[in-house]
Amino acid sequence: MALSMKTAPRKLWRTLSSIKTGVILIILCVIFSAAGTVILQRPMIDPDDMQRAYSPAMLRFLDVTGLTDVFHARWFVALLVLVSLCIIAASVERFPNAWRYFARPYKSPDDIFRRALPTQAQIRIDDEEQGLSAAERALKHVGFHSERIVRTDSFSLFSERHRISEMAVYIVHASLLLIFLGGIVDALYGWRGFLMLTPGTSSNQIEIKTGTTKTIPFSIRCDGTGEETYADGSPKKWWSKLAVVENGREVSRKEIVVNDPLSYHGVRFYQSSFGQTGKLDKLTLDVTPIDEKTGKAQEIALSLNQPVPLDSDTTVELTEFIPDFVVQDGHIYARSNDVVNPAVHMIVTSKKANKAVNVWLPEIQGFAENAASPYIFQPKDLKTGLFTGLQVSHEPGQWSVWAGVVLMAIGLTFVFYVSHVRLWVVPVIDARGHSMLWVGGTANRNRDAFEQKFKDVVAQIQKDLKSKSAEAAEEPKAAAIRG
Amino acid sequence: MARAEIARGRAEAANGTTLVVGVGLSIAFLLFIAFLNVVKNGNLASEANLLYAALVFYAGAGALYLGFGVTGTESYIKFASLSTWAGLIANTGAVAHRWYEAGHPPFASLYEMLLSFVWTLAALTLIAEKRYGVKVIGTVTMPVAIVGVVLMQLLRSDVRPLVPALQSTWLHVHVTLAMLAYAACALSFALAMMFLIQDKMKTETFLAATSIFTVGVYAAILTRFERWGGLNVVAWDADNKQEVFLSRGVRLFVTIPDLGWLMVLVLAAVAAPLALYIFALAKKNDGLIATANRAVFISILLQSLALVFFVLRARDGRYPSLDADGLFATSLAASPFILSALVGGIFANLLYLLLLWRRQDLERLLPGSDDLDRITYKTICIAFPLLTLMIAAGAYWANRAWGSYWNWDPKETWAAITWLVYAAYLHMRITRGMRGRVAAYFAVGGFAVVMFTFFGVTYLLPGLHAYA
Repeated sequence: MALSMKTAPRKLWRTLSSIKTGVILIILCVIFSAAGTVILQRPMIDPDDMQRAYSPAMLRFLDVTGLTDVFHARWFVALLVLVSLCIIAASVERFPNAWRYFARPYKSPDDIFRRALPTQAQIRIDDEEQGLSAAERALKHVGFHSERIVRTDSFSLFSERHRISEMAVYIVHASLLLIFLGGIVDALYGWRGFLMLTPGTSSNQIEIKTGTTKTIPFSIRCDGTGEETYADGSPKKWWSKLAVVENGREVSRKEIVVNDPLSYHGVRFYQSSFGQTGKLDKLTLDVTPIDEKTGKAQEIALSLNQPVPLDSDTTVELTEFIPDFVVQDGHIYARSNDVVNPAVHMIVTSKKANKAVNVWLPEIQGFAENAASPYIFQPKDLKTGLFTGLQVSHEPGQWSVWAGVVLMAIGLTFVFYVSHVRLWVVPVIDARGHSMLWVGGTANRNRDAFEQKFKDVVAQIQKDLKSKSAEAAEEPKAAAIRG
Repeated sequence: MARAEIARGRAEAANGTTLVVGVGLSIAFLLFIAFLNVVKNGNLASEANLLYAALVFYAGAGALYLGFGVTGTESYIKFASLSTWAGLIANTGAVAHRWYEAGHPPFASLYEMLLSFVWTLAALTLIAEKRYGVKVIGTVTMPVAIVGVVLMQLLRSDVRPLVPALQSTWLHVHVTLAMLAYAACALSFALAMMFLIQDKMKTETFLAATSIFTVGVYAAILTRFERWGGLNVVAWDADNKQEVFLSRGVRLFVTIPDLGWLMVLVLAAVAAPLALYIFALAKKNDGLIATANRAVFISILLQSLALVFFVLRARDGRYPSLDADGLFATSLAASPFILSALVGGIFANLLYLLLLWRRQDLERLLPGSDDLDRITYKTICIAFPLLTLMIAAGAYWANRAWGSYWNWDPKETWAAITWLVYAAYLHMRITRGMRGRVAAYFAVGGFAVVMFTFFGVTYLLPGLHAYA
């Protein structure tokens, strides 16, 4: 009984850290993510469309199981957490072994190791020292730095390159965890919302996607917004001049455009939309009196509900602005908020006569009494209100995500393109009693390229040995001549 | 066009060495016609002309590669290679011209993406041929390049100003990486298929694979099947050369009558070889395989018929819509995915026939199975980091444009799925020592996911990536 208590956690650990579990979890992630792209998702689709797409029973089932919002469902988050745990377990399980490679390189190979190593060669030498120094020179020639390993009974050479490669997989796994961490932080503490401003106004109330409002500790003021278009009328650039106001003081200012947000205290403001509010800003008119005695021709500017005197007796007030009007069944309606087909309603009042005349521009039959007005109005310029739509987001976890991405790029480079190469050179006596130089090597990846390199190293050592022995053969000859 | 080239390749291959002369003369003739046009217009190095030259050379190369595939005459390869080089040079000119005119790298519209894709494909073909000695690869890639260039002729090609969200360097980084990654995945798929040939996988298993693929293609097309046998296609605004939108992101579909029934008929025809194969497997009756091969032949004819009818009816015509009153025009340009799916189906079946008839030649000419296994793995080792960086660049761009680095929109999710599939492959390969057949299946499956991410998501699922 006690045994099973002890082995159960051990078993769980084994399962969690196995590659099989990892691959199964990956497959589960794939299946559920794919389901989340095929089944309509609540956050993106209108509730009405959802009801149209599925039968009530089906929709209830999908809602209960969380399949209509897969990526925020608890079980999906749990799956991602399980993946993280699996990555951690697998890394912890394998890390000590790799760390041993990394921290305490195996420098002087024993007999058993030498026999088992697949990539090796033996070169005939005259004496140990000559062989080792030839190997040293040869290794240097192909770009390997080597060190002499001194043991009580032997000398040998050890050389290696890119030991960091042993750690690469752990770098990648750690980077993945960093990305997950960032995602979790943002899911818990991040938020996204929308802010609509017209020039001259400021606000600190952000509409959150869920329908609530969030108050941020500073306000954003819009000092202007606008659009530039290409010759064909399609939008080229939307811009907004924004200022950050904190405790009544302007602390920051920036003109933002799409792809270049304003960031203040971790809150980012993105240019996301732009448009006309459908409200009147200013209407400029040329005014001509019918009877020249009552007044003079002039240019006036009207804003909504602000009377302007035309002469001592007459005033005009703009009471209605309809950006896109249509007349139907004896009523005037606004079709949309886009300024496509605008109409204005003004009331011209004469105090003495106590008479008010409805003037419509353009003259709408049945409503306008333009002929009765003592003045003729000619529209000159119409300025309507603009608004800028700002996407607001706070993602405190994103730095962890970007750090993870950079780390992953580095890790993957090491995983795929850098291999840990080790070479050993040991002088040995073979079965027939000859002095031999044993050369062996391994690489943790890209083995075929390494085999070629290994052959080059062996050939280089042989070449070096041959030239040395040729020199050695020449020296006595020279001495003999002198003698 | 591609079909015609293939047919020509076949017909002339029968006459052996006359092929090179024939193709050479065709190229000369087409260039002469083009030259007359140029003299008339007075503008030699326009993008359209360069693209036309690229098409002519690619078509020539395609014919020669196919001729090589069918007859096994090795001298064709040299000429095919030369023709590919010429095509690539013209294509490079077109890309450079485009880049210069637009002032941004050519990745902003479907037209520009195809332009870059074809360029990458041709370059990779030459690299695979020269560096890895995979000589027959042009048989697969050149027809794809031809289809790409032909599709480009149908799409809106004027330099279009970028809408604000697309004015970002990160977009270019993202798309370039996507192109490279997908091209590497495509290459690993082709190599895995070659491995399966060299690994002595049975020819009838390939029959099953191509049949499943084709059935999938027609099933996907038939998701647009409309009542009374119609087929829905997107309406096309000929004046502005763009799709008609009902509202933001909602496209207007028109129904071409009767075309749906034809597609159902062809679905039945392409399902027949698969059914026969399964039947043969169950009954252990090899005679049925021969019948299945004949059924493939019939299905190719019917598929060609479907393609011809689709082209004739969707090229231009006015059709009713269920969502709006009146008749609306459509054009081939409105249905690039249906068109490529139809061509892709025919192409896959033709490749099967090539294998059926010329298996021994192929086995002789391809590198050994061990080499192919290793090269496949190496290609994925290149593709995976590119996929990773592509996703990262996309996330960074989304963060700058929309204020969020991950939205779980279908394209994003499928990119992540692709990444996971290849991650699983690498784990199995590195720690479990997965080799050979299983690894090859994995590579093939991975590419299927890539294709779904690239085409399927845009065609079948809703999302933000409307322009790609």
